[in-house]
Amino acid sequence: MPIHPAPHHSFDRDIIDRLRQDGIDRKKGEEQLFSSYAYFIEQARHNFSFSEDEAFNIYADTILAAISQITGGSFEERSSLKTWLHQIFHNKCVDLVRKKATNKNSVNRAMSIPDRLLQMADTAKSVIQQMMEKTDRELIKQKLREIGENCRQLLMQWAEGYSDREIAEAMAYKTADVVKTSRLRCLDKLRQSYKNT
Amino acid sequence: MVSNLELIEAYFNEELSAEQKSEFELRITADPAFADETAFYLSSKQAAASELEENRNRFKGIYQQYKQGNVQQVGKVTPIRKLWPWVAAAAVLAGIILGWYTFFQPVSPNELADRYIKENFQNLAVKMGGREDSVQTALRLYNEGKNGEALKYFETMIDRDTSFAEAKKYAGIVCLRLGRYDNAVRYFTRLENDTLFANPGKFYHALTLMKRNQAGDIDTAKQLLQQVVDLDLDEKEKAVEWLKKW
Repeated sequence: MPIHPAPHHSFDRDIIDRLRQDGIDRKKGEEQLFSSYAYFIEQARHNFSFSEDEAFNIYADTILAAISQITGGSFEERSSLKTWLHQIFHNKCVDLVRKKATNKNSVNRAMSIPDRLLQMADTAKSVIQQMMEKTDRELIKQKLREIGENCRQLLMQWAEGYSDREIAEAMAYKTADVVKTSRLRCLDKLRQSYKNT
Repeated sequence: MVSNLELIEAYFNEELSAEQKSEFELRITADPAFADETAFYLSSKQAAASELEENRNRFKGIYQQYKQGNVQQVGKVTPIRKLWPWVAAAAVLAGIILGWYTFFQPVSPNELADRYIKENFQNLAVKMGGREDSVQTALRLYNEGKNGEALKYFETMIDRDTSFAEAKKYAGIVCLRLGRYDNAVRYFTRLENDTLFANPGKFYHALTLMKRNQAGDIDTAKQLLQQVVDLDLDEKEKAVEWLKKW
């Protein structure tokens, strides 16, 4: 039996349609989506004792992930926008709680770049530092916007320190392994695009 | 067979044995293509983190507006029936006062700039989590009031990478807070010329002129704000609001 999308309020429809447009319409859709459920931020502060910045960042990441799924066509509209967004937001809140508890005693997975280089032997470190200085970071960012919305979101979430499992949950990938494969492909694509400039 | 990217990732995730780590580091010194791939891996992670930050910043303005709008909804729901005549009278009076204040009370561009700076630049958002790069370090210094030290950080970043838009933005903001308006204008002008998804350069340029308030500054600021509106740039809503007051 075919699964039919649940009937939606015209409010949801309006936002989704705007997000699937280009230019100013899309921007307005993004603003509308963000404002409509921004009260989640206050709820997270209350329920999880997050700071305002923490709650804001989680909510902004939720909206970015949602926009990526809506524009990429992977949001199947089986539930209302509110229910769906709340699920993504809640998962991210739980992840942060877990992360904060774990990071007290262990090395953070999302180690900063200078920390990562500190692990390296001096000769190798100096080679990498020189090469990184020559890299045009703004150009990488520009290419990041050109390789597709899904790749952009994947790499941004990875850079933020989310694990492949967390990304899989937020971006509706089947498994963490699929995220890893896709992420590395995106990185390769980004590099090729950068090199071909 | 493990790809180079998988190997690079395994190295930085501490998943290699001591022997494999040594091999990896030797390969970096001996194989420039591999070293380049490793450097790109790290640079792209930095770039993606910076892109995410810019994306989040896009929503900060919307969030501020949301909060301002929401404040009016927050209130005690109490025996309003008994008090309704008073509440209605107070609401009318408040409306008159607010209307007068909004439409007739002159607010100078300099005051508008002061308010904006106070609301938005008192503290700059530092990313959550354990990652710490130069931008985050500089922002922390700024938030601790060590503006001079923060500025040095941002200037060093710009010297190393002249296309580093985020550093230009923050360098401009720090200069603005330090009263070095000419330098702030220089950084924001450079930022304006960068191609970004959301570029506040022109708006900040106008803001600095409103704050500096020298001969001709306000007229130029007005023209810049009009461009922000016409080109649908970052902080368009605020530019519209200010232009209505002039």
